[in-house]
Amino acid sequence: MTIMWMLSWLPDFFWHLLLAAGVVAVLASLVLKRIPFVSNYRIPLQYGGIAAVIFSVWMEGGIANEAKWQARVKELEAKIAVAEAKSKEENVKIVTKVVTKTEYYKERGADIIQYVDREITKYDNTCPVPKEVVKAHNDAAVPGDKK
Amino acid sequence: MKYYIIALLLCLTGCTSVPVERKFPEVPNVLLGKCPQLKTIETETTVFSELTKTVVQNYTTYYECAVKNDAWIEWYQVQKKIFEEVK
Repeated sequence: MTIMWMLSWLPDFFWHLLLAAGVVAVLASLVLKRIPFVSNYRIPLQYGGIAAVIFSVWMEGGIANEAKWQARVKELEAKIAVAEAKSKEENVKIVTKVVTKTEYYKERGADIIQYVDREITKYDNTCPVPKEVVKAHNDAAVPGDKK
Repeated sequence: MKYYIIALLLCLTGCTSVPVERKFPEVPNVLLGKCPQLKTIETETTVFSELTKTVVQNYTTYYECAVKNDAWIEWYQVQKKIFEEVK
């Protein structure tokens, strides 16, 4: 977590430079011991170089890992965008189907009611409906209270 | 103590980032309406044609509602398949 936080604050080339500087410092410490005047700086330069190499290699690993995850995130985002478009496309198909079928049932119901008005009304006077039939129908039509 | 707080905050910075966000698939408005109540017959009306008409209207209501119910099942199955395809 902390690696990612640090990576977000410092540019990647900083860690490349630190690695290069660490390697140069370690190499320089080997050369400096042959020069008498500057040989006093050899030990701190060597330790500093080793520390810089270790830390920068660790951060380079973090950069590589971060790049891998960013690529994965982009890949997933692209897949999600495709899925969302497909989802909307399927919704349009479903809505079309619902509207078409609903229209069909409405028209069919209206046709049957026209038939009732035309044919069934002939029996209104000869075939009275008992109130018990109406009651049974109405009781079935309303859900009633759950007990 | 303050170092622990700083260390904890540093760790928490990693927890706040969510790399990929997925939205819940949108449901068409046509599916969100409730099924209407079935019609009843006025007790005074005991005409045979009125009874038949009410029965026909109720059957129509049922089929309209069944279309929505079937569409919900289809919507779920299709959206689940699309969801599972993203890995």
